[in-house]
Amino acid sequence: MLTRYGALIFAAGFAFFLFVLFAGQPLGAPPMTVGRAVLDQAPAAVGAANIVTSVVLAYRGIDTMGELAILFAASTAVGLVLGRGRGHAAPTAEPGGFILQAGVDLLFPLLLVVGFYIILHGHLTPGGGFQGGVVLAAAFVLPVLARPAEQPSHGAMAWVEGLAGTAFIVTGLAALAFDRAFLAPLLGAGQLGALVSAGTLPILYLAVGLKVGAELASLLLRFTEEEAAR
Amino acid sequence: MSQSSLSILLLGALGLVGIGVGGLVLSRNLYRLVLALAVAETGGNLLLVLAGFRPGAAAPIIEPGRAVAAMVDPVPQAMVLTSIVIGVGVQAFALGLAIRARAAYGSLDMDELRGRMEADIDAEAGAPPAASQHAPAIARLAGQPEAKP
Amino acid sequence: MNPSVVALVVALPLLAAFLLPLVPGSARRVVGPLVLLVLTGIGMRLWDVASVAPVVLAVGDFLPPLGIVFYVDSVAALFVLAVALLCLLFWPWAGEGEHLDRKQSLTLILAAACGGLAVSGDLFNVYVFYELAAVASYGLAAGGRGAAGQVATFRYVILGSLGSLLALFGITLVYFMTGTVNLAHLAELAPKALVGVPGLAAFLLILLGLGVKAELFLVNAWAPEVYATAETRVSALLAGLVSKLALLVLVRLLVLVFPLPGTHEALLVLGLLGMLTGELAAYKARDVRRMLAWSSIGQLGAAFMAFSVPGDAGLVAGIAIALHHMLVKPALFLLAGRWGGSLGRIAGAARRSPLGAVLFVLFALSLLGVPPLPGFWAKYLLLSGLAGQPGGLWWLGGLVVLLTTVVEAVYLFRVIGALYSRDEGSVAADQSATAVAGSGMLAAVLLVIALSAPVLAGTLDRMAVQMGDVDGYVTRVLTPPAPAVPIGVAP
Repeated sequence: MLTRYGALIFAAGFAFFLFVLFAGQPLGAPPMTVGRAVLDQAPAAVGAANIVTSVVLAYRGIDTMGELAILFAASTAVGLVLGRGRGHAAPTAEPGGFILQAGVDLLFPLLLVVGFYIILHGHLTPGGGFQGGVVLAAAFVLPVLARPAEQPSHGAMAWVEGLAGTAFIVTGLAALAFDRAFLAPLLGAGQLGALVSAGTLPILYLAVGLKVGAELASLLLRFTEEEAAR
Repeated sequence: MSQSSLSILLLGALGLVGIGVGGLVLSRNLYRLVLALAVAETGGNLLLVLAGFRPGAAAPIIEPGRAVAAMVDPVPQAMVLTSIVIGVGVQAFALGLAIRARAAYGSLDMDELRGRMEADIDAEAGAPPAASQHAPAIARLAGQPEAKP
Repeated sequence: MNPSVVALVVALPLLAAFLLPLVPGSARRVVGPLVLLVLTGIGMRLWDVASVAPVVLAVGDFLPPLGIVFYVDSVAALFVLAVALLCLLFWPWAGEGEHLDRKQSLTLILAAACGGLAVSGDLFNVYVFYELAAVASYGLAAGGRGAAGQVATFRYVILGSLGSLLALFGITLVYFMTGTVNLAHLAELAPKALVGVPGLAAFLLILLGLGVKAELFLVNAWAPEVYATAETRVSALLAGLVSKLALLVLVRLLVLVFPLPGTHEALLVLGLLGMLTGELAAYKARDVRRMLAWSSIGQLGAAFMAFSVPGDAGLVAGIAIALHHMLVKPALFLLAGRWGGSLGRIAGAARRSPLGAVLFVLFALSLLGVPPLPGFWAKYLLLSGLAGQPGGLWWLGGLVVLLTTVVEAVYLFRVIGALYSRDEGSVAADQSATAVAGSGMLAAVLLVIALSAPVLAGTLDRMAVQMGDVDGYVTRVLTPPAPAVPIGVAP
């Protein structure tokens, strides 16, 4: 019992320590040292109306590459842990009812359209590869809920994962051919706000979206398989 | 937005951190540990977004034909996206491990699992193998007391 | 040299990791080693160039405080080389099909993340690569032997994520105070912006956060459990490589961003406690693998103590200890693959594998710091660095180093005694050929270093001076290069 109270006091004390620390910071008036310069330069230099996208894919593109690698590593590691010593276990779960099946059939194309819309407009409006990729993953996981027997193949997922990640890095490496630094945006900034603008950024976001979608879908499918094998 | 409402934002973020950290130090169930981690990370992410927040400023998206006076700092928004994705990956993997641990040891209780792990390590290191290392894999639900054999 | 080569340090292994599952059949097995060989070449080239002047790459051609910068000085180049070579040495050659692919992918990702940690010049980017290294090492650690490893890894994941959260708080605090995450920009702003209690708190949060991988005191509880359950290959990589990269990053931050009063003392105290607790726990440990894990914690404590000495003396000693440990500990873990059990188990094992036992003795003596071996110089530099500081705390540190050396001697000789004992242990196993070959290679490097110590001392000094050159770092990163000529326009 004593340790429980000790633990609670520790957690509260830690939060209080952080509060004191952060309450002394310029809340609501950030120094904007780098932020101001990015806001000023990004529209002309990168050409994405969504400046966050400029930061995610251009100024901090290496971070995004690292993120993709983290998702890939997590999905690989889950495969290593869960996909062990099991043949293709026949899923035992019953198919869903009529309403679920019909609803999923209706939703599937809509989710695809919404997912790709969010990805392809990532440089113009809020959203982008990560958000759209999650919607795509949902589109491919929902049918499994309705018809557990029809699992999408892990092979196809692996191809999308691998090729989308490759597309991101190859687009980055392509800059070297034009004597630019790795991950420099190519093809010019274009007209601000147009669908075809911001150079290679939409290509990068498409790669991100497909990779995130495939990665999350394969993660979720592994968990459902594990559930079915039980 | 006044200074007090900014404090509320800060308190909200840190409240989540406090709840999450409290959960991390109090929970023994693996699933709850992952949940607590998720809550604490959400607090941390909110704090990161707060580092670029300016009251009344617009989201950093240019709409052609509309002039905007002030925008929030876009850099923390990009960083928080990264941070969220990292959290998702780590939590998914932790859940995978929890599933395996329960399949092998029939428990989700951290103290019990730790004892079993230590016993396994000792056994491998040279103690004579015990008669049975594996109790029947009773699928126990979170929080239910263990049925002692 | 085109500075974009630096980006290949990260991009190439990642590309290979993504593509590995898609490469058909027999070609799949050569992809990883091939990429690591190329990475070795890049590392050597970078070492050549960087020992003259550091290489700076503005990723994406965005000028430094805005974009991410890669900065390769000779320490970073050496670590890139070490990453490639150690990953090659501990490459997962054999295993069952699909799992082998996954382990190879994860090892490549680990190589990319470690390379990124060595070269990155951006605080948040460092955090991303640190997380990447973390996830890859969680996966590798869980891929080991059975369920105990998965429980150990789960505990490691929770502790590691808590650490990441602390580091994220530290980074957020730094961003609040400065509005930037570029290390050179931070170094420029630090004397005015990162001061007082918030500055120290930011350092401590990042230190404890990133210290998880560096086996820092307070956040190192995972190490004995994971090293006892993971494959020896993985333990060797985590203890030898990943911990050093985390250490390198922390030292870079200490030198560039946090030269505050109090930060060096904090590092000293945490290092001192780590060394003391690690060596004492190693003394109490009754099986070789956990003994090595605790001893690794002790050695990293020594490295933290060395880096806590302000100025170039500390950097020289710290780099020496880190590099020495990077050679010795993987070799010892490799040998512990078959000899990881209790002392009774390995009794008399020297008769079965005399060469393995000789190698074990060699590495143990170097770890202890017996004179002609490099370990002696590392400890000597540490002690002279500590003795050069005024104040009782540093002298206390020196005392702890001497004291723990005695403890180290006791437990290492206990193992050596068991190896050469007349009794026959219950499972006195032969040493595996790969372990002997691998540790033999590391032993050759160790002996070459021992013979060329006077030459290497100069190199070490130059590396430390380059690493400690804050003004040079800031100027090289933040001074814009000559205006680039737009594509297609004649100069």
